[in-house]
Amino acid sequence: MNAQPYIPPGVSTDMGVAAAATLDYDAELMLRVKEGDGTSFGVLLEKHRASVIHFVYRLVQEQAIAEELSQEVFLRVYRSRSSYEPTAKFKTWLFRIATHLALNWLRDEKHERGQERLDDMSADLPMRQVSDRRPSVEQVLVYGVKLEEVRRAVAALPEKQRAAVLMHKYEEMEYVQIAKVLGCSESAVKSLLFRAYETLRARLAHMGTT
Amino acid sequence: MNCPIESRNPEMLVAYAAGELDLETARAVEQHLDGCANCRAKAADQAAVWNALDAWEAPPVSPDFNRRLYGRIEQGVPISWWERLTRPFRPMPLRQALPLAATAALLLMAGLILQHPSPFASAPAPHSQTVRADQVESTLDDLDLLRQFGAANSTEGAHPDAM
Repeated sequence: MNAQPYIPPGVSTDMGVAAAATLDYDAELMLRVKEGDGTSFGVLLEKHRASVIHFVYRLVQEQAIAEELSQEVFLRVYRSRSSYEPTAKFKTWLFRIATHLALNWLRDEKHERGQERLDDMSADLPMRQVSDRRPSVEQVLVYGVKLEEVRRAVAALPEKQRAAVLMHKYEEMEYVQIAKVLGCSESAVKSLLFRAYETLRARLAHMGTT
Repeated sequence: MNCPIESRNPEMLVAYAAGELDLETARAVEQHLDGCANCRAKAADQAAVWNALDAWEAPPVSPDFNRRLYGRIEQGVPISWWERLTRPFRPMPLRQALPLAATAALLLMAGLILQHPSPFASAPAPHSQTVRADQVESTLDDLDLLRQFGAANSTEGAHPDAM
């Protein structure tokens, strides 16, 4: 990556760096990317790659699609570096792009193939999701059934609820961050999460605490 | 039914299961759970959901993810006008420069030979008593070609004042 991004004449990046310091280190790294530092982009990629891919995977539930969409996420981050302003946490911005792309894909996919696709995805369950501790055949079967039930329960949630649950549960994002990603109020996020967990409780609580 | 959590703050049990509450609030919720069977059942169910979601591991990321991404970045990176302008004059690695230099030298030699043709090259071929028709035709073609080259070179090389 040796491309020098365009910095408009007269624009001081020092002010941007100072503003980012009050936000988070990632935003500061992104401002360095804006100044042409490709290494900082690499640092951001290493730090957030897995969480973005896993988040998108749990939303769309197809690994190949998740990686493709995640490539697009990081590509958009890189391409919009020249216009980047640290107005929010970097992770919020990143997940806003990821959520937007994934939900758009889901809408297109739903439109093209119909909702039944989400209910019939047991065939493409990747085997590598099974733990490497060499479990017995019975354990594998039980785990597979349990996993499938969780996947179906999450897939059945409305899109915004699904995204909110995934950010809350797996990314441990704060309500205010989730609100910014989804473009709604913090109280709306609490309500979304409450309804989502109510639905999940009805579907998954019988699985017990073990 | 007079449960403060259910009537005023039902989201609290979600926050409790997620471990988001501060110590004091968490203790208050636990005290409430001791006396409220309904909330206790809901909290247990919420914990079960939490554990069920924990079981869902995402697959590992493909090892070539970065390579593919950087490939796409390289493809789509816009080149500035300065880069376009200076790219041909940048120092080049020896491995790339050598074949280019060799090709340039060959072209230069070919040009010099064509501009100053050897007297032997332009000399008419010795006549032979037994000449085949296709050989004659080929020789005439070659001579014609050489004549055209000679005419072109003399026109290019001529000084405008001399004409």
